[in-house]
Amino acid sequence: MSTAGISWDPYNQDLTKNPYPMYKRLREEMPLYYNEEHDFYAISRYADVEATLRDRDLFSSAHGDILEFIKAKSVMPDSVFIHQDPPKHTAYRSLMQRIITPKRMYAVEQDIRALCARSLDPLVGGDRFDFIANLGAEVPMRAVSMLLGIPEKDQTAIRESVDARMRTEAGKPIDIANQQAIQNEALAGFEEYISWREKNPSDDMMTELLHTEFKDPNGVTRKLTRDEISNIVNVVAGAGNETTNRLIGWMGKTLSEHPDQRRDLAKNHALIPQAIEELLRFEPPGPFVAREVMREIELYGKKIPKGAVMIMLLAACNRDESRFVNGDTFNIHREARPHMTFGQGIHVCIGAPLARLEGRVAMEEVLKRFPDWEVDYDNAVLSTTSSVRGWDSLPAWIGSKPKNYVAPKPAAAVAPAPAAPAAEVPLEGTWNVVVKGPTGPQPAVLTLERNGNTITGAQSGAGTTTPIADFKRDGNAIYWVNHITKPMKMKVEFKGEINGNVISGKAKAGFMGSYPFTATKA
Amino acid sequence: MPKILYIEHNGKEHVVDAEVGKSVMQNAVENLIPGIVGDCGGACSCATCHGYIDPAWEDKVEPKNDGEEAMLDGALRVESNSRLTCQIVVTADHEGLVVRLPASQF
Repeated sequence: MSTAGISWDPYNQDLTKNPYPMYKRLREEMPLYYNEEHDFYAISRYADVEATLRDRDLFSSAHGDILEFIKAKSVMPDSVFIHQDPPKHTAYRSLMQRIITPKRMYAVEQDIRALCARSLDPLVGGDRFDFIANLGAEVPMRAVSMLLGIPEKDQTAIRESVDARMRTEAGKPIDIANQQAIQNEALAGFEEYISWREKNPSDDMMTELLHTEFKDPNGVTRKLTRDEISNIVNVVAGAGNETTNRLIGWMGKTLSEHPDQRRDLAKNHALIPQAIEELLRFEPPGPFVAREVMREIELYGKKIPKGAVMIMLLAACNRDESRFVNGDTFNIHREARPHMTFGQGIHVCIGAPLARLEGRVAMEEVLKRFPDWEVDYDNAVLSTTSSVRGWDSLPAWIGSKPKNYVAPKPAAAVAPAPAAPAAEVPLEGTWNVVVKGPTGPQPAVLTLERNGNTITGAQSGAGTTTPIADFKRDGNAIYWVNHITKPMKMKVEFKGEINGNVISGKAKAGFMGSYPFTATKA
Repeated sequence: MPKILYIEHNGKEHVVDAEVGKSVMQNAVENLIPGIVGDCGGACSCATCHGYIDPAWEDKVEPKNDGEEAMLDGALRVESNSRLTCQIVVTADHEGLVVRLPASQF
């Protein structure tokens, strides 16, 4: 069989719009794929992905689950448990599992329904509705705030600021950087809130985070520190906002293209839970995850060295024909069979019960108000990052379309993806920076120039470039300042250590707190 | 190979020739029994393999450990005979084990 033309690269924008034909070829023709340019392996068959995710000893998460992080040998605080192996992972995960429970999520179902109503009711009677701006960017963020017990008065302040920022010019996609700023803002001022909640305990997750004892990785029984709480909330809230937002976008797109199934669902809401599972299978918001291979192994006759990066293509294995008949077809009536969208093994998505609940309630509330819609692809924006694929903007016609409206054509504006690291070189040159922010990795490019003993340069991110200041090197310690203007005006201080071709440390983003970053020489 | 009877919430029965050494969850998932999801694959990390052990069998399967107790504490539709089926490894003595499944795993 000719395997010519098989190439899969997470940064290839041509594959963002429809990666599935390539996934099919990988599954059928090259079940173990190697990408030379970025030096990683990828597997795409269901059984292979399942076995790999279950083998936590052979496939490590100690340097994270994203290609760039593993390449950079990224290290995170113990409490960032998505980024750890046992026993560190076990200590924090088992604590969080006692706090993020299906029971707690289901207790807020009516509140989530009210959040959907608040977002959707003002749109009734109109002609258009954006699944992202009007629903996906709002409900998951508010649901997390609510579960954390952020008081209504603060939520209102956050909401008003969100609403002010969300106003977009007609016909223009919403600004994703802006959206992230909104999410960041929702998490800002957190320290203050934590202190207040400590004095005013309630039955919310924050109260439990403050008071529940756990056995830490050193075997000491204690409560979480403020830093640990902050890290955990950032990871959990960031992951929960972004992915559920994407799920709501895929709901809008997929049901727009399958009007018969949409009508079945509008008629019979009892079908919605299985439709959410099918949607999760068909368009997973997080299409792949990565692990580090801990010893040399052989797979499909090829040797994979210790230290290699293995990418598990969840979106590909979810359509494996040996498990899902007509896997490339969206069919809410198909025989129920578990998919791989939430992962498997000890790192399985801890927020799955909330995602399923939000997906179901959002679908019910949308269909109650808008049983019919058609996506306006001319104004829709699709993007991909190192961990998430989905719509930044997905407007749909829910009423009458203008007379001069032309048939929809698919849009695929793609956000820039960070490049992979390369060989070791001196300070001057280009560095790919990834800040692990509360809403996921934020890529930026740092360019450094040397003038005698002085290093100057500029940093680009969120579509703007600003000069850097105060660059210092003291032994391995590196420091610089970047005054950014987008998504908001802010001083960001980078403090890190250089190790070979990687600088890693913390980026302090004004009042928003500190986030880990890695900079890898391009 | 002991036979295990899985009963869906709608009453539909499935008899499985269970593999000894694998869990009650694995035996269900590998035989495509509807009603058991097992998102985490048996790591006691998701509570989507919830089942009700027939009262006659409650004392004959291995008891719950702390991890399972904690997961069940936060799970939905829990009864006194609720178990996470990934935590029960099938032995030859399990011939005739009966497991009823909840209305939904999430």
